[in-house]
Amino acid sequence: MNTKKTMTLNLTDQEMKVLEELSTQKDLSKTAILRQALRLYQLVDVKLAEGGKLFFEDQKKEKAELMVL
Amino acid sequence: MRVPVELFDYATKEPVEGELFDEVTVEHFLETQRDWRPAVIEAAKAMLKSGAPRVNVPRHFHWDWSTKEADLRVLAFSFFGITCRGKLQGIMKLETAGRSSRLPEHKGKPLIYIDYLETAPWNIKTLVEALGKGPQFGAVGTRLIEAAVRRSLEEGFKGRLALHSLSTSEQFYLEKCGMMGVGRDSAKQDLLWCEFTPEQAEIFLGEGGGAA
Repeated sequence: MNTKKTMTLNLTDQEMKVLEELSTQKDLSKTAILRQALRLYQLVDVKLAEGGKLFFEDQKKEKAELMVL
Repeated sequence: MRVPVELFDYATKEPVEGELFDEVTVEHFLETQRDWRPAVIEAAKAMLKSGAPRVNVPRHFHWDWSTKEADLRVLAFSFFGITCRGKLQGIMKLETAGRSSRLPEHKGKPLIYIDYLETAPWNIKTLVEALGKGPQFGAVGTRLIEAAVRRSLEEGFKGRLALHSLSTSEQFYLEKCGMMGVGRDSAKQDLLWCEFTPEQAEIFLGEGGGAA
């Protein structure tokens, strides 16, 4: 693994609550959740820049919504 | 990262030191296309001609690592390689974000997903034997799986790991590595989704990755 650098992150109460909920649900540390978020954000950004599209499909597979960051 | 790893030399029947690294470059991809792919295609043709069981015929003859060059710059992907005696012996691409367990008791928990794992054709017994030769190095795939499990631990995923296995590799993942066959994936050519729970991953690492 690469050497890690430390940063201070300021979150609202609501943001911290969501982060803590995700941390519990995913069985991950809060740092790991944020690292995952960064990776996914970059992945989506790269794919969109390459001309890709991101869809969410509902359970009936009838409706798809294009998400653009 | 560059660390020594123990492989097995089939010629001398002795352990041999290889090197595991994560600074994979496009040069390594080109090496697979130049040195590996022709041998895989030749072996597949020889096996089909000789009437070898279809389950043994390599399914990865069309793989092209060079198409993954752009992925080298994406945080959600990691690459590992193993060299020995100056040659690339195995290569692996991991997805480190966005994948989760399909086991009911671990559903939604993140894991490392092995997107691609390939060992050099001269290390695959059934493949080189089709060309009238013997394999060179053993344990390359095992060492790469170990690296993936360690990455899972580093990421806080507790060793959780998954992959879609080609039919030619199911026996290796299920019997040699001790992964669990969770189910066939109709969205992925009916390939078998294999998974390590944290407990199974711990056993795998504890046993030195199982047999070569």
